[in-house]
Amino acid sequence: MLEIQNVHKSFGKNEILKGVDLSVDKGDVVVILGPSGSGKTTLLRCINFLERADQGTATLGDLKVDLHSASKKEVLAVRQRSAFVFQNYNLFNNKTAIENVAEGLIIGRKIPKEEAYKIAREALDKVGLSEKYDSYPSQLSGGQQQRVGIARAVALNPDVILFDEPTSALDPELVGEVLEVMKEIAREGTTMIVVTHEMQFAKDVAKKVIFMDGGNIVEEGTPHEIFVTPKEERTRRFLRRVLPGEYDFEI
Amino acid sequence: MNSSFINMEFLIDTFFVALSGVPIALLVTVVALAIALPIGFFLALTRINEIPILNGFTKVYVSFVRGTPIIIQIFVLYSILPLVLASIFERYNIDFPIYEVNTLWYAFIIFSFNTAAILVEVFRSALKTVNAGQLEAAYSVGLTTAQAYRRIIIPQMLVSAMPNLCTATINLIKATSLGYAISLQEITLKAKVAANVGYNYLEAYIDIFIVYLILCITVEYLFKVFEKRLSRYKAVATA
Repeated sequence: MLEIQNVHKSFGKNEILKGVDLSVDKGDVVVILGPSGSGKTTLLRCINFLERADQGTATLGDLKVDLHSASKKEVLAVRQRSAFVFQNYNLFNNKTAIENVAEGLIIGRKIPKEEAYKIAREALDKVGLSEKYDSYPSQLSGGQQQRVGIARAVALNPDVILFDEPTSALDPELVGEVLEVMKEIAREGTTMIVVTHEMQFAKDVAKKVIFMDGGNIVEEGTPHEIFVTPKEERTRRFLRRVLPGEYDFEI
Repeated sequence: MNSSFINMEFLIDTFFVALSGVPIALLVTVVALAIALPIGFFLALTRINEIPILNGFTKVYVSFVRGTPIIIQIFVLYSILPLVLASIFERYNIDFPIYEVNTLWYAFIIFSFNTAAILVEVFRSALKTVNAGQLEAAYSVGLTTAQAYRRIIIPQMLVSAMPNLCTATINLIKATSLGYAISLQEITLKAKVAANVGYNYLEAYIDIFIVYLILCITVEYLFKVFEKRLSRYKAVATA
């Protein structure tokens, strides 16, 4: 359903992505792992045109776009079919939780206000924030803010939701509630690409795990293939570092 | 020293004379702001986004305005504008009595020119306080750049711009007093003219002083109220 081909991206002389291919089937959860600086986040941002790739194509259903030279209209079309969950939540500070969720529906998708608010309420209920419709982001904890961020993405009913390290900015005790919500929407069959350092989430939820390093995809496979029987030395080294003990134990 | 040190009767009468200049002072302020706000904002965007040519032009323009006294800007524009316009009109055979134009029009142009430059810097610093993530989030839910600015960026930017906008507005109100140099019928000129008759300058100055004070304190108060309204989303304490 989503095909990314040959994505290249450099910042100055620093080549971040060196020709990345990625394909995601409908309803799948794809988790991208890798050390920082490996280009995971940049890849995600290129898909949603938050960065302009130097080269590459994306096919989203029947929509095929060039990631470098897409027109404004094409960019908007891709964004209308996808949603993004940010590391720092990026909730609209001047809007309440429900306004945050409804904004894209009313303005972006031209859905009538009443219906948009109904969808927004349902989305907030789903992430367990029925009590917080009218709270501003400044009144919410990090975990609650990120759940609003997820509700904002889910409400758009996109073909794919892109998660950029959704729990990395959270206090450890708040990570659980966000992962729980993500598992829930994964169970409902939402197509997701998730960049994360949460190994347990990858093991439990991912259909496919991708290991990136140095701007390339080093290895991809099922959670079992990546975590238990990794073929590449670089993958093994990374896992040994992030899962000390546990990794050796699982062999 | 007797009680004639200050002529109370003149002081009170002239107070109302000075007060009668308020509408012109406010008119110039409001028109200048109405013209300068969009121009200042637009030019601030060219600075922030480093638009070639316009960015450089804006830099020079801002330095020029900030680096010269307003009174000189007034004299220069007041002398140059009619000359330039006259030669243009002559060239295209437009019959327009340029030397009979009301000074009010010059005041509009001069104070807009000055205020827009000040507002460039006000908006530039305010725009920088809005996190880039806000624009990205707006894009990610399918908003266009214009929609994102109107609904997300500008409302947040205005909150941090308010204190400086207030200062700029108050400075503008006070600067209109320099309009007396081109015979603008505002507060200072009216009071001074009244004082000319009997050399009651001290009283006239006190009146001018009080009128500006009242005006500026009122404006300051209005800005405070507006700022509070705009920053509702911030004011609430974290639960």
